[in-house]
Amino acid sequence: MPRPRALENVRVVDFSWVRAGPWATRWLGALGAEVIKIEWPESERGRLPSTTTPQHLEVNLNTSGNFADTNVNKKSLSLNVRSVKGLEIVKRLIAVSDIVIENFSSRVLRNWGLDYDELCRIKPDIVYVSMSGYGHTGRNHHYTTFGPVAQAVSGLTYLSGLPDTPPAGWGWSYMDDTGGMYGAMCALTGLYHRNVTGQGQHIDLSQMVSSVPLNGPALLDYSVNRRGSRRAGFPPGNRAHWPGTPLVNNYRGPTVAPHNAYRTHPGEYNDWCVIVCHVDEEWQRLVQVMGAPLWATLEKFATVAGRLRHQEELDRHIEAWSMTLGKYQLTERCQAAGVRALPVQSAEDRVEHDPQLRYRQMYLAIEHPALGSHKAQNAPFELSETPASNHLPAPLIGQHTREIVEDLLGYSREELRAGFADGTFWPTTRARLSYMEEMLQ
Amino acid sequence: MSETLPGPLAGLRVLELVDEKGRFCGKLLGDLGADVVKVEPPGGEPSRHVGPFFDDIPDPERSLSFWYYNTSKRGITLNLETADGRELFGRLAATSDVILETLRPGVLTSLGLDYATLCEQNPRLILCSLTPFGQTGPWRDFLSSDLLHMAAGGEMASCGYDEADVPNAPPIAPGGGNAWHMGCHYAYLAIMAALVHRTVSGQGQYIDVSIHEACALTTESAIANYVYRGEVLRRQTGRHHAAGPTPRTQFRAKDGTYVCALVGGRLNPRFVKELAELLDSYGMAGDLKDPKYQDQAVITANAPHIINDLVANFIASLPAEEVYHAAQERGFTWGAVRAPEALLDDPHLHDRGFWKQVEHEELGRSFVYPGEAAIYNGSPWRISRRAPLIGEHNAEIFCGELGLSRGELSVLAESRVI
Repeated sequence: MPRPRALENVRVVDFSWVRAGPWATRWLGALGAEVIKIEWPESERGRLPSTTTPQHLEVNLNTSGNFADTNVNKKSLSLNVRSVKGLEIVKRLIAVSDIVIENFSSRVLRNWGLDYDELCRIKPDIVYVSMSGYGHTGRNHHYTTFGPVAQAVSGLTYLSGLPDTPPAGWGWSYMDDTGGMYGAMCALTGLYHRNVTGQGQHIDLSQMVSSVPLNGPALLDYSVNRRGSRRAGFPPGNRAHWPGTPLVNNYRGPTVAPHNAYRTHPGEYNDWCVIVCHVDEEWQRLVQVMGAPLWATLEKFATVAGRLRHQEELDRHIEAWSMTLGKYQLTERCQAAGVRALPVQSAEDRVEHDPQLRYRQMYLAIEHPALGSHKAQNAPFELSETPASNHLPAPLIGQHTREIVEDLLGYSREELRAGFADGTFWPTTRARLSYMEEMLQ
Repeated sequence: MSETLPGPLAGLRVLELVDEKGRFCGKLLGDLGADVVKVEPPGGEPSRHVGPFFDDIPDPERSLSFWYYNTSKRGITLNLETADGRELFGRLAATSDVILETLRPGVLTSLGLDYATLCEQNPRLILCSLTPFGQTGPWRDFLSSDLLHMAAGGEMASCGYDEADVPNAPPIAPGGGNAWHMGCHYAYLAIMAALVHRTVSGQGQYIDVSIHEACALTTESAIANYVYRGEVLRRQTGRHHAAGPTPRTQFRAKDGTYVCALVGGRLNPRFVKELAELLDSYGMAGDLKDPKYQDQAVITANAPHIINDLVANFIASLPAEEVYHAAQERGFTWGAVRAPEALLDDPHLHDRGFWKQVEHEELGRSFVYPGEAAIYNGSPWRISRRAPLIGEHNAEIFCGELGLSRGELSVLAESRVI
């Protein structure tokens, strides 16, 4: 007997697009909610443009690999919400749903006539999560974000890089991933509160604002100690402290050395390992792993203060050794001896070479009607009684329109046909896709 | 009115048995209204010894990192290596909704405090183990740190520099302890899913969260690029990893700070027309108002000129904050690259009531703390108290709630149980 899912019988109206919103609803789906993605091909952002379509396939609305991974466990209703009829249908859907979630800019839903008050009239205990760039209140609510902009404005970008160089920042939209997490967290917190109290609410999430609490210790260092982050030796690259600069904590754990990335054999682009010794005992174990070379037994490296003082020399010596080993080999040797070390892993490394992720079945293949069988990312948690899973491939656009309109909302086949004919379910100017013709039979 | 409403998690009791890996999750729960009881070893949890410290005076009660990540919690001390300590923990577990723990896999079982045992007296209990690699697998017992997770999780492989900016640069791990944040976000999500399920089923459950997997999930399209196209992405300064080079997005402003200006990939006639208007409002449009730029082919051919000359010169002529606001007011998704302390003066955050005064009564001071990611309009987020002092609530909880006498409390303290 299949085990129940945590969010069994929870229905989500998902207006989200691009990345942060869809990453939120991906998890609601994995946990068992019925996630209904409202889409419209003329104003679609998430499927296209696609830079992740397999080389042998045509780039179209149904072939983005990144969309496929981001939108597992959802159904798709194609609907022109900007039409009178479309709005009526979406209201009927909201009336039988638990959560409404969207990541438009701050006034879009209100302009459609779907502000929180109206949502409440339709479904009094609705949990409404808005995931806008700057939130629905505050003077800059009309500003817009993508991940990199939220990261820049909030201070996250600044905390990444080498000193005296431009910020390295984050090499992707970290705040689309993390903004998505907050979207899902808000939705479940609101749902829990509703289940306990019977009260719904509007939860006003902001991608920019949600980035700020991730800089907590740096912010307190300023608000309490008046020490700002524009200072010598900050950010300290991968180190805890940059040599030759004032000795202060840089918000990445204890101030220790070694604490760095080192090249490994054979020295290709991602052949790097990180090694950290938190206490002298760990350093002594690393000395043994390195074969107790003479330099490493010198008194000046025996204490954390000495290793910080001679960090440049220390790192040069360690790298001369690390270059003789492959990154996985180095990891195994260090960890077997109780030394903190792990390889820098590319996406290929994680999918193909990481023994832990393989053992934990992090990437399992799922069959998609347009893309074929590909690995999808699984949940990083196991719930003993209600496991999360990827049980549905990402939907083709409008794939579940008939199922939702007829089976869930009770419209007739005639009404479905009429809606396709008048441009409610698909633009009349666009050729219908083959599965749409089938649903009209 | 909302000032007086309880938070969405009011009424929940959480026991937190964590180090630096899990305390953010406890904060997320506590700030939303849960009664989070932090269980520390006698003398305090080791992360109290990590700086920076208040006025740079090292002291377990002055760690700003500890302060930040432990708001809205009460604190007790308990030595779980003693039978008395375990017995008291068991009694607390019997009345708790959630236990969050970050001990090494197997330790809870060796203490006789595993889920099966705790669940016997409290079937509604949710026990979440948040560990570096989860409870199973070949790396289960590996040691880790924030930097190690950023390496193995894939963050570092995506962050760094263009060769032209920093030759031979290493992959870079962004700072700030974000591996712990990633793990805590997923742990929070899993706990909330279990709590929602419990409102329906009445049953608790056990949750095994892996920080490594949480980090491995947090590199946007990197996995899809590999799975669907076999691509391994390259690192670029201040912008997205990519299979091949993309135009820069980070420009130096007049004040020496930077602006994140998304231009490349958006260069169509409409965007260029609006860009020309923005630049022209400062007399910096150069030749961009020339009607030839309404032709896509001309735009594409001149993209390096538009980005590297016109946009770069425009930004170089103004302070970063001015570029940010002028561009956003005209609909450009651009932003200033700010140091965190600049946020303290952000009017938008003030409008949202973001900054909170937190009373440190033992110091006779109050300090400004960051506030909420999201405004819960029906059940507000709040910092209910500063981080607990070591054993601050021992009497309140052991005597007030478990019914121990003051005499018994003294005995427990003398025998290093608390």
